[in-house]
Amino acid sequence: MTQPAASDASSPVAPAADLRHRAEGEASALPPLLVDAQMLAGAVLLGEHGRRRAGTGDDFWQYRPLQQGDSRRMIDHRRSARGDVQFVREREWQIAQTVHVWTDLGASMRFSSSPELPQKIDRARLLALAVSVLMLRGGERVGLTGGRLPPRSGKAQILRLAEMLSREDDADYAPPEHRAMVPHARALFISDFLGPFDELQLALSKAADRGVRGVLLQVLDPSEESFPFAGRTRFHSMTGGLVHETLKASALRDRYLDRMAERRDALEALCRTAGWRLGLHHTGDSAQAALMWLYHALERSSA
Amino acid sequence: MTLIAGIGFAYPWLLLGLLALPILWLLLRAVPPAPRRQAFPAVTLLLGLGDDESLSDRTPWWLLLLRMLALAAAIIGLAGPVLNPEERDSGSGPLLVVLDATWAGSDGWEETRDQITARLEEAGRGDRTVAVLRLSDPQPLQFLAASDWARQVAGLTPNPWQPAPDQVDQAITHITEATEDFDTLWFSDGLDYPGRERLTEALAARGALQVLEQPGAAFALAPPSYADGALELTVERSLPGPARDMLVQARGRDPGGTLRSLAQATARFDAGATNASVRLSLPSELRARITRFELVGQRSAGAVALADDGLRRREVALIASESEDEGLALLSPLHYLRQALAPTADLLEGALSDLLPANPDVIILADVARLPPAQEQAVIDWVEEGGLLVRFAGPRLAASDTARSEEEPLMPVRLRLGGRSIGGAMSWGEPKTLAPFEDDSPFAGLRTPEEVTVSAQVVAQPDPSLADRVIAALGDGTPLVTRKPLGQGQVVLFHVTANAEWSSLPLSGLFVQMLERLAVSSAVGTPEATSLEGTVWRPVSVLDGFGRSREAGTLPGVQGPDLVAAPAGPALQPGLYDGGNQTLARNVLRAGDSLTAASWPASVPVSGYSTAQERPLGGALLGLALVLLALDVLATLLVSGQLAQLRRSTALVPLLAAAALALGALSPRPTLAQESGAADPVALAAELTLAHVLTGNAEVDRIARAGLQGLSDTLFFRTSVEPSTPASVDLERDELAFFPLLYWPVTADQKMPSAAAYTRLNAYLRSGGMILFDTRDADLTAVGATSPEARRLQQLALGLDIPPLEPLPPDHVLTRTFYLLQDFPGRHPRGPLWVEAAPPDAEQDEGIPFRTLNDGVTPVVIGGNDWASAWAVDSNGRPLRPVGRGYAGERQRELSLRFGVNLVMHVLTGNYKSDQVHVPALLERLGQ
Repeated sequence: MTQPAASDASSPVAPAADLRHRAEGEASALPPLLVDAQMLAGAVLLGEHGRRRAGTGDDFWQYRPLQQGDSRRMIDHRRSARGDVQFVREREWQIAQTVHVWTDLGASMRFSSSPELPQKIDRARLLALAVSVLMLRGGERVGLTGGRLPPRSGKAQILRLAEMLSREDDADYAPPEHRAMVPHARALFISDFLGPFDELQLALSKAADRGVRGVLLQVLDPSEESFPFAGRTRFHSMTGGLVHETLKASALRDRYLDRMAERRDALEALCRTAGWRLGLHHTGDSAQAALMWLYHALERSSA
Repeated sequence: MTLIAGIGFAYPWLLLGLLALPILWLLLRAVPPAPRRQAFPAVTLLLGLGDDESLSDRTPWWLLLLRMLALAAAIIGLAGPVLNPEERDSGSGPLLVVLDATWAGSDGWEETRDQITARLEEAGRGDRTVAVLRLSDPQPLQFLAASDWARQVAGLTPNPWQPAPDQVDQAITHITEATEDFDTLWFSDGLDYPGRERLTEALAARGALQVLEQPGAAFALAPPSYADGALELTVERSLPGPARDMLVQARGRDPGGTLRSLAQATARFDAGATNASVRLSLPSELRARITRFELVGQRSAGAVALADDGLRRREVALIASESEDEGLALLSPLHYLRQALAPTADLLEGALSDLLPANPDVIILADVARLPPAQEQAVIDWVEEGGLLVRFAGPRLAASDTARSEEEPLMPVRLRLGGRSIGGAMSWGEPKTLAPFEDDSPFAGLRTPEEVTVSAQVVAQPDPSLADRVIAALGDGTPLVTRKPLGQGQVVLFHVTANAEWSSLPLSGLFVQMLERLAVSSAVGTPEATSLEGTVWRPVSVLDGFGRSREAGTLPGVQGPDLVAAPAGPALQPGLYDGGNQTLARNVLRAGDSLTAASWPASVPVSGYSTAQERPLGGALLGLALVLLALDVLATLLVSGQLAQLRRSTALVPLLAAAALALGALSPRPTLAQESGAADPVALAAELTLAHVLTGNAEVDRIARAGLQGLSDTLFFRTSVEPSTPASVDLERDELAFFPLLYWPVTADQKMPSAAAYTRLNAYLRSGGMILFDTRDADLTAVGATSPEARRLQQLALGLDIPPLEPLPPDHVLTRTFYLLQDFPGRHPRGPLWVEAAPPDAEQDEGIPFRTLNDGVTPVVIGGNDWASAWAVDSNGRPLRPVGRGYAGERQRELSLRFGVNLVMHVLTGNYKSDQVHVPALLERLGQ
């Protein structure tokens, strides 16, 4: 059932563009995500939220008469046309939040149990980028953990993110990247969390130390949840590094499900202590639902 | 070959392989099924989970058993097992092979020959000398080496008769004359015949007798008989058995001269019945063509019944002199002829001029003195081509001067004036009786009854040739019946009347027999032996044992009574016999014969041909092994729990598809529902419908249909012609009679209609239909060039019944049937239009703008202006295709529609507008 990453074409640009396209598609269905910036006392980085939408008057600050030194480009013609005085439209000073995204690009994510289902890594990339797009559109600064792509705002970041997310990791189970996280920033970790648990523990404790709060999204294949195997089976990890052979796979199902539940409980407990939220997504379900959940989770965890 | 438990093995040592099975059992048992490889990222969670039980590491016992069985089947199958291996004990000493060699065994002759060959080989292995005795053709016994006889076996053929008593006697003589004792192997055909018991005893006296009887019943066809207007065919079988159908085929030459089956019927044996009859009613023309009847599937002389003249009913034309007075029926000159001939011949009555073209076999002129010269010549011609003219005298002939002074072609002799009357009130002498018939007379052998008397007759003039021509005479030597050949036919004169006025001959049975002998009538069924007394029949063709006809060659003739009554034998072989002017068939069975199965004394061992055939079992066992192995595959998947996965995955799909294909190949192919090109005939006939011919080019067909729709709409709006929706016509399938007009767009790649379609098209054209051929290429061909469509049209029209054509003359009725038109544009404006040429004598009167042309509905109109495109409308009635440019184009479209209206009017009203009645009105409109 191993399948080489189908979306992995030889040139990284084509999948990146494709990924961005699909992420834009997913993101277009939601209103821009406004991450509350109440916790940004320390993270005083400024960002601008240029919004031209009727009814939301928060972003408009004031009109002021044109002063010496203002460029003519700054004149608000709609207001100025009402009278003889020329006005400049001043915008509200708003605060942007920094969001760190980490997506597990390890080999274990390159799995789908049937050709109809997407690989886990595809779903993870899609969700990560969709959330990024939402946040960037809301004016937030989005980057990857680990310093390879520092948080930036602007649409160009979407391209950079897409390119970075299109890469792949050769390791079987990639450890969460926890370096170079801006204090009090937000974080989103997407993975199957089937790898070593202590790495995750370390990452989350470090994040909690820096006041970073966020969301863990576990992406699983349906077969990992139901274990539909029987008979003499030799299970191996995606790279073949780990092997387990059983003579009667069906007899393992209950114990496997128990272990899966244990792992989830542990994740839950970890999140609770670190103040994070845990989400679960199956590749058989709709990505839109997951994005919805992420939207709410990021909004709520900020409250 | 080694025998184990009644089954022989070709390679018995292979069976040692069975010993290896227990070892294999142990080996297979130790090896669990191979694991499946499954990529699974969550394997981290599985690490450390051990298996509870160690159950599935052993192959289950039933799976092992399955494999063992498969292997055992394969091993035994490869060892070449054979059921019923052949084994015979062979005797010693000389061996006599006795064959019935009759027609009854010829159907299975190949098997018999194989059996004989096998027995001869066996005897050859045992160094036995062998003699072969054919009972239907016994020869002295010749004990030779078996191999000598084996070479001759191929030449042994069955004879088409049963051993006759004298042949049995001959055979017994040969048997008793043999010098040493011998064993006997008797290949019996399963039929009884007289003398068989004596033969059995004679053979049993010389040594061990074994009878090999051919399995199954023998079937034979009795001679066909004709009764009540139908042929009755009877099939006999030697053994009563279950109900069975036998197909009887009547074969003969068709008008083209090919030998073929002309009719067939099924005779049904009821269970337990030994004969079955079937009646076959055929028109006399067909019946006359039949040469033989055959039982389908039986290859023997008995299954053939030859047809002779008995089946052929002759056509006899009866002509009496026309008389004004209505005579009494019993006095009619034809009454006795009718009575005599009606059961055996087809009678034609009427005027001679009407009957001659029917070419009857016989013409009987009763008291007709003289024929009109033209008819006389016709009758002479007819006789010279083989007709038989029979004339009867009478008062008119006696009173006329026919054949007085010189011999006439249609009269065998010259006649004396007045005839004579004997034994009447005014004459001396007694009424005369008949003299016995001479040997060279066709009536030879018939008894002349005393009570037949002649009281009046016409008398022949003495002539040098008279003696040769007399075939019957009175007691005093006066000719009564004379005959002369004329060309290939002959003319016969009865010197008395055909009624009882002049003689009592027509009242006697002799009259009928004489007519039979003259082949005026033909006998019904087989003639009686006595009526053939004194005749000799020459064999024309005879049957061999397999029922094939061959030339008779130099076989001697047969006496008439023998032909009917004697049993068949070397001297009387079944076949077709010629008796001068009649043919008789002698079949294997005589009428009334039946078949009896042979019964053997209890002391004689009777066996069929070796019934238990050798049956190799290897293939079946190997097949079983394959099936078991296939089951093993499924079972292995089941054990390893992958069957469910397999079912879900697509891997099973090709398998299922293959199985479905195999099933599909086995099941009968579903018949394609015939798509209906045209609507049902009732709807088509109820309203006027325009139609176009389907060309096979979808676009052209679509435009043609849309064009006819446009034309129909126009007709509906403007005229009282209200057509229904146009129809598309497939020439190969659809009936054309419902359509007054066929629009035929010609494409270059159109398929040629079949011969049947051409027949229909020609019938359509002849019955008033019109075809508008449109080559749609007037834009290309206007300057005289030809186009592929035009060439195709020439090929298409070759098979059509089309009159000479001419370009449409300016005064053609098509120019004024509804609109007054001078040109006929379609999408192309000025292509020429061809119609049937006017008669060359059509003249134009002074002051009349057009010629007088009658009945000028042209069956075809040929042009290339692509009218359909100009007429074509879509479902909303808007034009489909552009025509010309701007207003001029619309004008052109209007004119093309007017042409269509004129054309339909021309089809429907014919030359109505050509009638001169309309001239004044038309002149007025034309402004002249």
